[in-house]
Amino acid sequence: MRSRSVLTVLSCLLPLALVLAAQQQPPAPAPDQQQPPNVTIELNRGGVQRKMKLAFPAFRGSGQLAGEAARAGREVEETVRRDLDLSGYFEIQGPDALSGLALTGDVQKDLAAYRSTGNEVLLLGDLHGEGDRIVFEGRVLDLGSGQAVLAKRYRGPFAVSRRMAHTFADEVIRFLIGKPGIALSQIAFASDRTGNKEIFVMDYDGADQRRITGHRSTSMSPAWNPSGDALAYTSFFNGQPGIYLAELASGRKRPIIASGSLNTSPSFSPDGRRIAFARSLEGNVEIFTADLDGGNLRRLTNSNAIDTNPAWSPKGGEIAFTSSRAGNPMLYLMDAEGANQRRLTFDGTYNDGASWSPEGDLIAYTSRRDGAFQIAVTNVVTLATQVLTSGPGENESPTFSPDGRKIAFTSRRSGRKQIYVMDLDGGNLRQLTTEGNNDLADWSRAPAQR
Amino acid sequence: MTRKWMIWMAMPVLLTLLYGCPKKKPATPPADLKVETTTVPAPPAAPSQPEEVQQPAAPHVEDKTEDPLQSADMSVVNDELRRRGFSGDVYFDYDESTLTDDTRDKLSRNADLLKSQPQFQLTVEGHADERGTNEYNLALGERRANAVKDYLASLGVAATRLRTISYGEERPVCTESAESCWSQNRRAHMIVSGRSNVG
Repeated sequence: MRSRSVLTVLSCLLPLALVLAAQQQPPAPAPDQQQPPNVTIELNRGGVQRKMKLAFPAFRGSGQLAGEAARAGREVEETVRRDLDLSGYFEIQGPDALSGLALTGDVQKDLAAYRSTGNEVLLLGDLHGEGDRIVFEGRVLDLGSGQAVLAKRYRGPFAVSRRMAHTFADEVIRFLIGKPGIALSQIAFASDRTGNKEIFVMDYDGADQRRITGHRSTSMSPAWNPSGDALAYTSFFNGQPGIYLAELASGRKRPIIASGSLNTSPSFSPDGRRIAFARSLEGNVEIFTADLDGGNLRRLTNSNAIDTNPAWSPKGGEIAFTSSRAGNPMLYLMDAEGANQRRLTFDGTYNDGASWSPEGDLIAYTSRRDGAFQIAVTNVVTLATQVLTSGPGENESPTFSPDGRKIAFTSRRSGRKQIYVMDLDGGNLRQLTTEGNNDLADWSRAPAQR
Repeated sequence: MTRKWMIWMAMPVLLTLLYGCPKKKPATPPADLKVETTTVPAPPAAPSQPEEVQQPAAPHVEDKTEDPLQSADMSVVNDELRRRGFSGDVYFDYDESTLTDDTRDKLSRNADLLKSQPQFQLTVEGHADERGTNEYNLALGERRANAVKDYLASLGVAATRLRTISYGEERPVCTESAESCWSQNRRAHMIVSGRSNVG
């Protein structure tokens, strides 16, 4: 562990005067339908990851807060704990687990007590109100040395309490684990909850679900741009399905390419300048690339079969796609210019909907196994394949989290189509949506920009 | 042939020169043009017209004719065509866009009706069942719609009268997760969507 006893006081969240819908709570997680395994095994990356033991006592000062400030304070504390728990990096001992310890309240005197139940690090939070603002100071102590290794203070309106907590949680993960957190990432999806299928965005944990389009038609297949400030998507609102761009800050929508009878399934190049997509040519669907104004249209596939669902690799050199050229739909790879087309999957009778891991080593997809649709993951180098879901429920359309440790996907296991998230080994299944039918999730690469 | 065509193409221009340009062209021809329809043989194919692509909404015109096929309400027209043996839907096997013999028979009857009523434009919608990804099913619906379009065209229905659109699995007629439902959703839906302005 790095030791750094600096009291970095920065990251005032004053400018973030955005409206976090305060009353919206994340949906209650569905009862676990899969038992989480005892150890976390990272698929095809080797090794068992040991969880860091973290003591997380109740935040100080929350008792002095009242009304909205008290609610915001509770939200900060619960969100930090939840973010760190969902990250999978920590084994957390909260107030209940710590209640058996004889703690004096003087941190330096309590180090041994915290260590006695195996804890390695201690997270302390202090909350206080400043008029219509809340101030949160979070500290992490190394229980070996007793030194504070990370300290951050945040100040902002009550409405941004969740964002404060996400920001701090990601700082903790970056500092202690050395990897970027995902607490500020977002998931775009399509939902028919308003009566029409529209594009929605939610936080990575299912909170704050908000509508992006209002076409009152069928809009689907959202795809984040790499910087996380715009979505490409398919919509029928102008008659034939075309691809449009929604800028999130301004709310502006404009066509990318809507000529011809069918344009769909956009996927951004990593530099954000082009999209790969599926387009119909005289009744047959082929893969194309184009600029964001529809210019420089380039055809990449040329087969008599269906070619669709392109996914641009994170390093930009390759595009994965689905083709039925060998009879059944299977995954293929090609260079981003269309050359060197080669088959990737041979298992099952139906493989479709490739999603790259952020490191570009794995592809998750929908695979039909014994008549049921499941989420499978294949290593593009070794071709080692693992099926992550089981049973009925039509599991499809996976998308990797930006840290590559989780997969969100659509399932009908509860009747309607809902979006779920699971770890890369299939464990820790949680349901993120509950209202209407929800599908076609796409997880952002960059933290939320809003 | 080419010359006849050019005369047909030139007529709207001449009429425009004579009578000036109407502010908004009504989708249904005025009553006096109807007489012309019966005396002049319809051209083999309607020349492509940008107005048709935009599919103007059916105007609310009082229906004074007895013939349901003259109705401004396209649902009345579609009901009447189905009464005369027009198939509104043809069905497909799982992950298939090939036409079965039964489908070909139905489309043959549809083609005859369409050829006898050359004023109508047909929209062919391609649909798929819920299994598989939404994206693949959009592509599958596109192939189904175009398989129907190509077959109707091969039977002599002018391709310019035929428009296709794929809805994939997005607009199911039946929403249960069972084969009894899926088989109803694997379809091409044919609907008369407008009239050509010619004739």
